[in-house]
Amino acid sequence: MRKAAKRTKRFLRRFWRGLREWCGDAAYESYLRSKASHGASCRTLSQAEFYVEQLNRRYSRPSRCC
Amino acid sequence: MKRILSIFAWLIVAFLGASALGAIAIHRGEPLNAMWFVVAALGCYLVAFRLYSAFVAAKLLALDDTRATPAERHDDGRDFVPTNKWVLFGHHFAAIAGPGPLVGPTLAAQFGYLPGTIWLIAGAAFGGCVQDFVILFCSIRRDGKSLGQMAREEVSERGGFIAQLAVLAIMVILLAVIALVVVNALKSSPWATFTLAMTIPIAILLGLYLRFVRPGRVLEASIMGVALVIFVVVAGQWVADSPYWSHVFTLSGLSLTAAIVIYGYSASALPVWLLLAPRDYLSAFIKAGAIFSLAAGILLVRPQVLMPPLTRFIDGTGPVFAGKIFPFCFITIACGAVSGFHSLISSGTTPKMILREGHARLIGYGAMLLESFVGIMAMVAACAMTPGVYFAINSPPSIVGATSDAGAATISSWGYPLQAHTMTNLAHAVGEITLWNRAGGAPSLAVGMAQIFSNTLGGPRLLSIWYHFAIMFEALFILTVLDAGTRVGRFMVQELGGRIWAPLGRRGWMPGILLSSTVIVAMWGYFLYQGVIDPLGGINSLWPLFGIGNQLLAAVALVVATTILLKMGRLRWIWVTLVPTAALVLVTMTASYQKIFDPNPLIGFLSGADDRAAQMAAGKIAAEKIVETNRLIFNLRLDAAVTAIFAGMVLVLVVEAIFQWYAILSRRGEAVLHESPYVATRWAKDFSGVPHDTVVGDAIGED
Repeated sequence: MRKAAKRTKRFLRRFWRGLREWCGDAAYESYLRSKASHGASCRTLSQAEFYVEQLNRRYSRPSRCC
Repeated sequence: MKRILSIFAWLIVAFLGASALGAIAIHRGEPLNAMWFVVAALGCYLVAFRLYSAFVAAKLLALDDTRATPAERHDDGRDFVPTNKWVLFGHHFAAIAGPGPLVGPTLAAQFGYLPGTIWLIAGAAFGGCVQDFVILFCSIRRDGKSLGQMAREEVSERGGFIAQLAVLAIMVILLAVIALVVVNALKSSPWATFTLAMTIPIAILLGLYLRFVRPGRVLEASIMGVALVIFVVVAGQWVADSPYWSHVFTLSGLSLTAAIVIYGYSASALPVWLLLAPRDYLSAFIKAGAIFSLAAGILLVRPQVLMPPLTRFIDGTGPVFAGKIFPFCFITIACGAVSGFHSLISSGTTPKMILREGHARLIGYGAMLLESFVGIMAMVAACAMTPGVYFAINSPPSIVGATSDAGAATISSWGYPLQAHTMTNLAHAVGEITLWNRAGGAPSLAVGMAQIFSNTLGGPRLLSIWYHFAIMFEALFILTVLDAGTRVGRFMVQELGGRIWAPLGRRGWMPGILLSSTVIVAMWGYFLYQGVIDPLGGINSLWPLFGIGNQLLAAVALVVATTILLKMGRLRWIWVTLVPTAALVLVTMTASYQKIFDPNPLIGFLSGADDRAAQMAAGKIAAEKIVETNRLIFNLRLDAAVTAIFAGMVLVLVVEAIFQWYAILSRRGEAVLHESPYVATRWAKDFSGVPHDTVVGDAIGED
C-alpha cells in the first residue's frame, strides 16, 4: 500500500514537472540551469526579458501546423 | 519465454487490427459501431509503430544513440534545450495537430466512411509518419536546419528557393481556407461569435499578466484563461437570448471576413506577448482537453456510424466538393494522413530539443500516428450523424436549394431521407438560428462532437453548450494557426522582400513590419473574400487548392529526404521514401490537372470560368449580377493559375532532384552530404538522464 502511494506520488510529481515543461512554465528554469552549467559570459536575462525574447524567437518560424 | 509471449501479444494486436479493418471494409447493411474504427486504427497504428517504424529506424536511417544531438552540442537554454522525450512528444504533437485532421475527414465523409478511414490509416503509416520521421532525422543531423535550407544545400540553390516560395504560397492558401472555415462556423451565430470575440480580451488580459504581473507563469495564467473561456461559452447563451446583443453579434460572412482580416493584421503587427502567445497557450490547453474528451466520449458512448461505407458521391458529383475518390479523397484528407506542413515543424523547433537520435522514432513517427487517430475520431463524429443531416449542413444552397423544404426534398431524393423540421429542431437544440448550408466542416463536426459529449455528460439539456464549446474549440485554435501563420508569413515576405530592397528585410523596422503585414494579410484576405462570395460556398474550390498545396509540400519534403538518403548510400531501402513521393506526385499532379482542365465546371476552374462567361454572353445572367459574375470568373482563373504555379514549382524541384539522383547513382557527380560532423555524446554509455552533472536533476531525460 505504502509502495503504491509512493509510486503514485512519484508519477504525479513527474507528470507535474512534464506539464510545466510542456507548456513553457519551466522554460526560465531550464535557461538558468543551462547558463550555470555552461558558465556563459553574457548577461543573464531577467525572467521578464527571457519571456519576451523567447516568444519573439518562437513565433518567428512555423510553430503551429494546419 | 518472454520473447515468445511478446510475439504472441503482437500477433493478437495485429489480428485484432486486421479483423476490425476487414469488418469495416466488407460490412454492409446495418450501422457499424464506432468501436470497430477505434480497434482497427489502434491495432494498425501499434503494429506500424512496432514493426515499420523500427525497420525504418534501423535499416533506412540507422539511428545512432551514441551521436550527440544538436540539443546537447549547442545547449543554450533558448533554442537548443535537451528535453524529455514525452514532453517533446507533447510539444511536437501540439504543433502538428491543427484543424486539418478535424476538417479534412469531415469533408471527405461525403464519400462514405470507408475511403477516408483507409487513407487515414495507410497514408499515415506509410506516408505521413515516414515523412515526419525522416525529415526530423535529416534536420537533427544538420543542427536543426529548416526544410528550405536542407533543400538548398542537398538538392540545389534553386531547389531551396522554390521550397521557400512554395511554403509562402501554400501558407497563403492555408490561412485563407481555415479563416473561411471560421467564417462559415460563426456566420449568423451570435452565441459562437460572442464566445470567440471574448477570447481576444481574455488573451490580452493573460498577455498583460504574463508580461507584467507574473512573467512566464504560463500554467497558472492558462488555467485562469481556460476558466474564463468556459464561462464565456456559457454566457454566450445569455447573449443569444438577448434581442439587442443577439443583433449586435449576428454578423454576415463579409462582416466576419473584415473582422478576421483586422484581427490577423493586428496579431501580426502587435507585440507577440500581447495577443498571439497567450491565445496560443489557451488554445493548446483547450485543444488537448477537447481531443482527450472526444476520445473518451467515443469510448464511453460507442456511437453507431450511420453513414454508409460508400455513398453515391464516389462518382464525383458530391455536394460538399466535386470530384472522384481518386484523387480528391487523398487531397481532401491531408493532415491526418500526409501533411507537408509537418515537415516545417520537424525541421523547426523539434530537432533542436531532441535528447538522442533514438527518440526521433517516437516523436516523428508516433506523434503523426496520434494525429491520424484524431482524424479517425473526426471521421467517426461526422459519420455518427444521420447522412441527411450531414449533407444538409455541408451542402451549399446553390446545390440543395435555398429553402429548408427544397433542401430536404433534394437530399431525400439522393437517398438520404431528411425532414425539414429535423434540421429546425436540431438547430434549436444546439442554440443556432439555422444549420443549413454551413459548409466548412466545423459546424457538422461540432454537431457530431456535441451529440457524443451530451450522451456522456448532461444529456440533451447540455447539447447547445457542448455544441458551442466545440465551435469555440475549433475556431480558437484555427485563429491560433491564423495569427501565428500570418506572423511567420510576414517574416517570409520580409525575407524575400529584403532581396529586392534591403531595409525591408530588417525585422525590427516598423514601416517594413507594417508593409509586410499588409502584403501577407492582403494575400490571404483576398482568397478568403473570394471564398465568402463564392455561390458554392468557397470550400469547394479552396479546400482542394489547400490540399494540393499541402501534399505538394509533402512531395517536396520527401524529395529532399530521398536525395539525402541516396547520398548516404541507402539505395537498398530507398523505396521507403520513394514510393510515397511517387504516390504524392501522382495524386497531386492528377488533382492539379483536373482542377485546372476538367470539362466539368464544378471541378475544373477554367471550365467553370468559361461556363459563366458563356452564360453571360448568352444573356442568362441578370444585369445586377454581371459585376459579381465577372469577379467569379476572375477568381476561378486566378485559382487555376495558383494551382499551375504550385504544380510547376514542384515539377521543377522533382526534375532537379532526379538529375541529382542520376548523378549520384551513376557516380558522375560527387555525393556531397552536408551533415554535421560526428560528435560522441557524453550520455551514450551511461545514459542516466543527467546530462549536465547533477544540476539538471532527473528533470530531463527519464526514459
